[in-house]
Amino acid sequence: MSKKASAKDLVMDPVFNNNPIALQILGICSALAVTTKLSTSVTMSIAVVVVTACSSAAVALIRDRIPSSIRIIVQMTIIASMVILVDQVLKAYMYSLSKELAVFVGLIITNCIVMGRAEGFAMKNSVRDSFLDGVGNGLGYALILMVVGFFRELFGSGTLFGITVLPKKEIVDGVSQGWYEPNGLMLLSPSAFFIIGIFIWVLRTWKPDQVEEA
Amino acid sequence: MPLNKDSTANTFLVATVLCLVCALVVSSAAVALKSTQANNVQLDRKKNILKVTGFTEEEIKAGGGITELFASRFETTIIDMRTGEEAVDEAKAAMEKAKGKELPNIKATYDQLWASKRPPESGLSTKLEKKQDVPGIKKRENFSHVFMLKSEDGSSVEKFVFPVRGMGLWSMMQGYLAVEPDFQTVAGLTFYQQAETPGLGGEVENPNWKAKWPDKKIFDAEGQVALSVSKGDQTANDYGVDALSGATITSNGVSNMLEFWMGEDGFGPYIDLQKGGTTTTGGDDE
Repeated sequence: MSKKASAKDLVMDPVFNNNPIALQILGICSALAVTTKLSTSVTMSIAVVVVTACSSAAVALIRDRIPSSIRIIVQMTIIASMVILVDQVLKAYMYSLSKELAVFVGLIITNCIVMGRAEGFAMKNSVRDSFLDGVGNGLGYALILMVVGFFRELFGSGTLFGITVLPKKEIVDGVSQGWYEPNGLMLLSPSAFFIIGIFIWVLRTWKPDQVEEA
Repeated sequence: MPLNKDSTANTFLVATVLCLVCALVVSSAAVALKSTQANNVQLDRKKNILKVTGFTEEEIKAGGGITELFASRFETTIIDMRTGEEAVDEAKAAMEKAKGKELPNIKATYDQLWASKRPPESGLSTKLEKKQDVPGIKKRENFSHVFMLKSEDGSSVEKFVFPVRGMGLWSMMQGYLAVEPDFQTVAGLTFYQQAETPGLGGEVENPNWKAKWPDKKIFDAEGQVALSVSKGDQTANDYGVDALSGATITSNGVSNMLEFWMGEDGFGPYIDLQKGGTTTTGGDDE
């Protein structure tokens, strides 16, 4: 990163060109766990954007003072504090969602994206750039989560944000209603792999330079 | 001032300052948000009590929200588990002694899980013998909440809601059991706190499974708890609910929980009193 990158590049680059999940294949585990519903995907996305942006900025702020021998621990401490903060706020203001996300908010600490950006970018760049880079990488993660969450909820439960889109085939009081037979596989983890795989395929067809050399 | 950031002194300095700052941020957030979080927990429990007695989301909205509907339709009381008698004042005295402060609104604020963890000398809990302790709770609180759903005009009780809990595979499952005033027919069972395996034991929160509980019978002809979770289709069986597949230990946990809390170490004495003492619940004699 020798030349000065513009704010737009910093934010948009990780979304499509250098997506943390699709290109770097980081942070897959939580992408499987929280995407059965759009509402949880969105909450998780916002949480990750906030944590990545704030922790990158905080690391960048003190980067000249961090002794290299303990830099990883320093980064972890900052990230962990941010995650606890986000978890506390969720518990206070979005209780039912935080109950559904349960342990996965806490597991943002172990999300490789956050740590990767702190170590790989924030240690060498200004506060502003690091913050924007954090937002961008958070959004890159968010994009995948939304896409996966969208398809899983739509085909798994026939709803979006809990509102019925595809009426479920069922018998109510002896009268059969709806036509959609929900695909149970979509609610299980493997479906997230399929969707992420298809997403990577589409993305690399659109941007062939992302294809790795065989 | 020349600054050697890799010196031992600076390493200690950075580590200390960072820890202090982070600790301060995290703890002030925890303290500042504590009351809001506690409110959420209360609200969530009330919501579960409303749900277990059959209120739908729409009815809760129409009733003016969780707090209002709960306040207008439910009566909360505290009973002594040993005698089955109402014991609000006794519970208040014991809790005030344990917490060392005034608790003016004990009916709403009584935390029985906290009480059950106090030592038996405090008068708040009773240690269970191994033989008695079917649900794996070790100590049982001496005082328990009972919630009563009043009819629209407030003249009679339509449903009784009992707090129940027991060990599943991984976690202490906490929930509410609602019964009809005949103390024989189940009105519903729900869990507001559990950490069983998602997709297997976690299915105790699945609405389809919860829908199997209403209208099941609790006691057999001898007054023993007969309701349990067992394998296979139990639609025709008044005393059985189909177990969760792949979750034997969680399912057994639910059975054990019912056996205990409906038995004489649980709400048995209260149920006997309510029925007018005409029937006995039998069970293991001391």
